Amino acid sequence: MTRGTARIRNMAYAALFAALLAVSGQIAIPLPPVPITLQTLVVMLAGSVLGARRGLISVLLFILLAAFGAPVLSGGKGGLAQLVGPTAGYIWSWPVAAYLIGWMTERSLHRLRFWKLLIYHVVWGIGWIYLCGGLWLMVAVGMDGQAALIGGVLPFLPGDAAKAVVASTVALTLSRAYPIIRPRSAESVRAAE
Amino acid sequence: MSRLNHPVIGQYIPADSFLHRLDPRAKLVFVFVFMMIVFLAKNAAGYSLLVGVALSGVLLSRIPLPMILRGIKPVLYLIILTALLHLGMTRGGDVWWELGPITVYEQGVVQATVISLRFLILVLMGTLLTLTTSPMELTDGLERLLCPLTRVGVPAQDLALMMSIALRFIPTLWEEMDKIMMAQRARGADFDSGHLLRRVKSYIPVLIPLFISAFRRAEELALAMEARGYRGGKGRTRIRELRWKKEDTILLVVLAVLSISLWWLRG
Repeated sequence: MTRGTARIRNMAYAALFAALLAVSGQIAIPLPPVPITLQTLVVMLAGSVLGARRGLISVLLFILLAAFGAPVLSGGKGGLAQLVGPTAGYIWSWPVAAYLIGWMTERSLHRLRFWKLLIYHVVWGIGWIYLCGGLWLMVAVGMDGQAALIGGVLPFLPGDAAKAVVASTVALTLSRAYPIIRPRSAESVRAAE
Repeated sequence: MSRLNHPVIGQYIPADSFLHRLDPRAKLVFVFVFMMIVFLAKNAAGYSLLVGVALSGVLLSRIPLPMILRGIKPVLYLIILTALLHLGMTRGGDVWWELGPITVYEQGVVQATVISLRFLILVLMGTLLTLTTSPMELTDGLERLLCPLTRVGVPAQDLALMMSIALRFIPTLWEEMDKIMMAQRARGADFDSGHLLRRVKSYIPVLIPLFISAFRRAEELALAMEARGYRGGKGRTRIRELRWKKEDTILLVVLAVLSISLWWLRG
């Protein structure tokens, strides 16, 4: 496989994953206290399925699409307004979350286990995202810490915990059925061919 | 431009207006700079100037007001919430009125007005851009604007191509997911009952086939691109060329005048 081929494949994967991110925002599960969508689930998967670099690029692509008014954010929202508005903190933390999840997954690729994936998804896919989202709520909207916690973090946690569990199952299954992240050694062998 | 060129329905509303005809590059630059100079406004004169520009934008777009309001609606309640927060929390100046435990000060009213107005103007300009420009046009515009960055290693053309691919495949994958869900329902899958974890889990048999189908498509697409000799953006020709017109230059002149007057009014 030449470098050009790998490059085109990476582009195609990142683009298709951005489309998956867009589609997942429209799947709403109506549940109390807040309806949840599968969007953050797919953000987690961008890292653990595509790996750090491609994951990062696919989420960035997705944000660009949102900025251009494609109705890709959860519930068919889109437009620049969403990316500077009060919930912008969550959205901008996604690329970093995908990158970090991807980076850690790549490092433990040889012995990928459910619990490892679960830890990565919970720490970066939940902890990091709510840290950024909550801080932005405090800075941009002027909420105090307690209000941000009650209004912007706690209602979403049960849904996100369930998503982290499901993301780990899906990532593990996909890594066996359709491995996309290849171990570094194999990749360099392929590049040399 | 025909509807066929824009397979993705976004916020975009096709019409023939001054704003629609402008070059996407000019509009992107305008909105980008505008979003920064909004923060220069410090007094009533500055804000009335900004409101004037935003309102003339609304008039020039020839888009019915309800459509514009629909674009703003998702953030409207957050703007109102923010205004109320500032109304109740900010202290300073004279006491204007008291409602039980809440005391509203003069500074609070000023803060609430200024912050909600600023948010509203930002949201309005962003909405106008996406209402009058299709995602494809915006992608083209961004690609051309980022062109100079290719020299320092930003793959602008590749980025724009990936955005077009993603836009192209959203409806396809949506249809695919619908099909998979129906197939799983036919096998007895239940998506609408049970507790939280069970419901989210019920999507596993949807997500895995959906992802694998998306990856197959990516693989096929990469193969097709390579077979057709895609070598990155360099030397690629395009079917739609952007044309810079007199109106676009006028828009940038207006932007410059606006920035200077805001700077001048600031004092």
